[in-house]
Amino acid sequence: MKILLVTEQREGKFNNVSFETLAAAQQLVQHTKGSLSGVVIGKAVAPLADQLAAYQLDEVLLVEHDLLDKYTPDGFSLALKQVIESVKPDLVLFPHTYQVRDFAPKLAASLNKGMIGDCIDYRYENGKLIFVRQMFQGRTSADVVFTGEAPWIASFQASAFRADLAAKHAAGKAPIKSVAVELKPEQIRTKPLELFREAKQAVDLTAAPILVSVGRGIKAPENIAMAEKLAKAMHGEICASRPICDEGWLPMDRQIGSSGQTVAPKLYLALGISGAIQHVVGMKGARTIAAINKDQNAPIFEIADYGIVGDLFEIVPALIEEFEKNA
Amino acid sequence: MAIEREQLEADVLIVGAGPGGLACALHLADLFEKHTAAGKTPALSAENIYVLEKGREVGAHQLSGAIMDPRGLRELVPDFEKGAPLDTPVTGDAVYYFTEGESFKLPITPPPLQNHGNYVVSVSKIVKWLGGLVEKKGINLFTQFAGRELIYEKDGIAGVITEDKGVDKNGKPKDNFTPGYELRAKVTVLAEGSRGSLTKEMVNKLRLDGLNPQIYGIGIKELWDVQPGRIETGFVAHSLGWPLTTDLYGGGWIYGMANNRVSIGMVVALEYKNPLFDPHEAFQKFKTHPTVKKILEGGKLVRYGAKTVPYGGWYSMPRTYVDGGLIVGDSASVLNSQRLKGIHTAIKTGMLAAETIYEALCKGDTSAETLSTYQKKIDQSWVKKELWEVRNFHQAFHHGLVPGLIQSGFQFVSGGRGLSDPMHSEPGYKAYQKRNRSSAHLVDQNFRFKGDGKLTFDRLTDVYHSGTRHEEDQPCHLIVLEPNICVDRCVREYGNPCQYFCPAAVYEMVTEKGAPKLKINAANCVHCKTCDIADPYQIINWVPPEGGGGPNYEGM
Repeated sequence: MKILLVTEQREGKFNNVSFETLAAAQQLVQHTKGSLSGVVIGKAVAPLADQLAAYQLDEVLLVEHDLLDKYTPDGFSLALKQVIESVKPDLVLFPHTYQVRDFAPKLAASLNKGMIGDCIDYRYENGKLIFVRQMFQGRTSADVVFTGEAPWIASFQASAFRADLAAKHAAGKAPIKSVAVELKPEQIRTKPLELFREAKQAVDLTAAPILVSVGRGIKAPENIAMAEKLAKAMHGEICASRPICDEGWLPMDRQIGSSGQTVAPKLYLALGISGAIQHVVGMKGARTIAAINKDQNAPIFEIADYGIVGDLFEIVPALIEEFEKNA
Repeated sequence: MAIEREQLEADVLIVGAGPGGLACALHLADLFEKHTAAGKTPALSAENIYVLEKGREVGAHQLSGAIMDPRGLRELVPDFEKGAPLDTPVTGDAVYYFTEGESFKLPITPPPLQNHGNYVVSVSKIVKWLGGLVEKKGINLFTQFAGRELIYEKDGIAGVITEDKGVDKNGKPKDNFTPGYELRAKVTVLAEGSRGSLTKEMVNKLRLDGLNPQIYGIGIKELWDVQPGRIETGFVAHSLGWPLTTDLYGGGWIYGMANNRVSIGMVVALEYKNPLFDPHEAFQKFKTHPTVKKILEGGKLVRYGAKTVPYGGWYSMPRTYVDGGLIVGDSASVLNSQRLKGIHTAIKTGMLAAETIYEALCKGDTSAETLSTYQKKIDQSWVKKELWEVRNFHQAFHHGLVPGLIQSGFQFVSGGRGLSDPMHSEPGYKAYQKRNRSSAHLVDQNFRFKGDGKLTFDRLTDVYHSGTRHEEDQPCHLIVLEPNICVDRCVREYGNPCQYFCPAAVYEMVTEKGAPKLKINAANCVHCKTCDIADPYQIINWVPPEGGGGPNYEGM
């Protein structure tokens, strides 16, 4: 069986799942007594082709083009379509990455082929290749086979195979061959912008020594700013009980309680929090608990070390003033 | 966006892993085994039986009193006494009439409440055990997957679509989005329990209603660990009267279980007049009665839960068969409301469904006509005999406790016929008396029952003990079809009873920018379905949330 393995790289670095899939492809070649070509695709990725050539492959195909500099679904699927049409493999294997999820179905459709995605294993029985996919969130697995003509397209799930088992080349190095592809700028319909990493704003509330927490007593989303100001003045972090996050007044990663985070700060200041058990289980480990609530029977006062029965809209501004004065 | 779904085909698909659904699966597997051993065709395999269960694990959403009549289980698993997690045999029973502060024990226990030979059980444990037997047979039991939509074909059904996973609050797919599966089967068995969401839809759509509409009760239960010696293991007590008034149909229970564990609860029919009646509060007050208090005092709340109970009985039974589909258990209204027992009948109907399906698969015909033998099998079984004798029991109490007791006396001596037969009934929500408040101000919630935190609890504390948990970022699974009615009509006409009948504090009327607004705390939901039943305008549609969400009724 002639196998084409498509690796994934970004900014000159391989995605490690590529090597897991390489290990799977090497096994498959042994079972089917076939040949294996590895594809490196991008712009100026010759060093990566070199790196891949150190592994047990029959050849490395270097697919380079200016328009492949940044990933686009159009560019990658058009280029790989040309590679597949010229190499004529029986099986095209991908690592099942986010990028592959994005363009591989498009590529398969352009070849008028189906694709078996996210496989965890394969079996080769009586000359027939069977892929194994998980279903029902891993509670069962299904055997899937291709019914049409080659080429067949499949991808393997991350961690389905071990990258460290990918064999190095017996003779030292596999030959590297350039494959020319034709792409025109007008064929690329998506315009990639600068790469960015989503700022991980998830604050580590568990590490914050001082937490100012707001509950329903805050009444309206516009009042959150006042609590945030107090938190800032106290050099603490803001957090909340479930209703506040449920309403979207604060992000869910600031939720304290049974369905949120469990914290144990030095000081926990509860503003307008009644103290339902669902909240209390998330903060009762605080060293000092202070609470402001207008209802003197609120259960929060049962666990509070310091309590103020009163209107938080009067008390909080006064607190802010004091803290800022002493800052 | 049209979603492309993966399709799977099975011989039999069972929606709901409760006593009925699992009995159906297990009995089918037994029949398949005998079939295969005898070398018969067509080839039938337990691998082609699928069971869906929305709970985190098998048994997680099972709640009952429970006193089990072992008749059904004995037929399903003849040597069940060896392996089943039965808590204790019933060793004694009593029925009390409560007034505030006093209790009167009935000199004899009425025959329907005599429980000699029955077992006190945790239905959650029994079901978990049954689930193990089912999986050993090679049946595919998928927990954390709910039947979300029925696939209608011909004059019936051809399978279900499971819920989409990984959808955010606004209905947009998240990173982990997984479309639901399209599961097709020759026969689909609806075993969803009380007020199943698919059963409700199918019964309405295909007009399968019984003679009477279904009538429900809400059962609220707590499990306690009490001080030694407070109640005898195996002693079961039922109560009538306080804190329920005589116009309410319901009562309390206290069962002594092994290791000083106590099952305590109350059922109330969801057909009361006062829209601000709070069943949870009534149950909490019940615990303060001296007779109850002296058992619980010094003990500890272990778990809480609530579930609706279908009271309607024989005359509320929908048509139980359609092309490619059957209904079993509580979904088919086979609970005996006089004996307050439905596990045995659920198991039996599950088995009868299995026999029907087996015959249909052998014949290669799963049309309604072939599957109608299921109803015939029910008619010829002890299920019909038992339900027929009490066919008018619940209806008799429509005008209150005293006329009900008199009528049921006549029924008792006339084999269930009583003074009129069949006695008709109305859906419970029609019983509400309008309050017609002049202003659209919300009913003040500051005076709601709070509990002392030791013997009695507010709803949020109880909900915590239900172990309920849901993925927070998902679409609300309580669909209010016309939200304007809540803030416009309901607030004036009824005072928003959703805030009262829900035992999990899901519904809350809040004021936002001066206007009333309904806030739904869907994450609190314990899947009891009361809202779907008791809403006066019938505009709440309960649908299953993402699979795995919901209570954890271990030991309940």
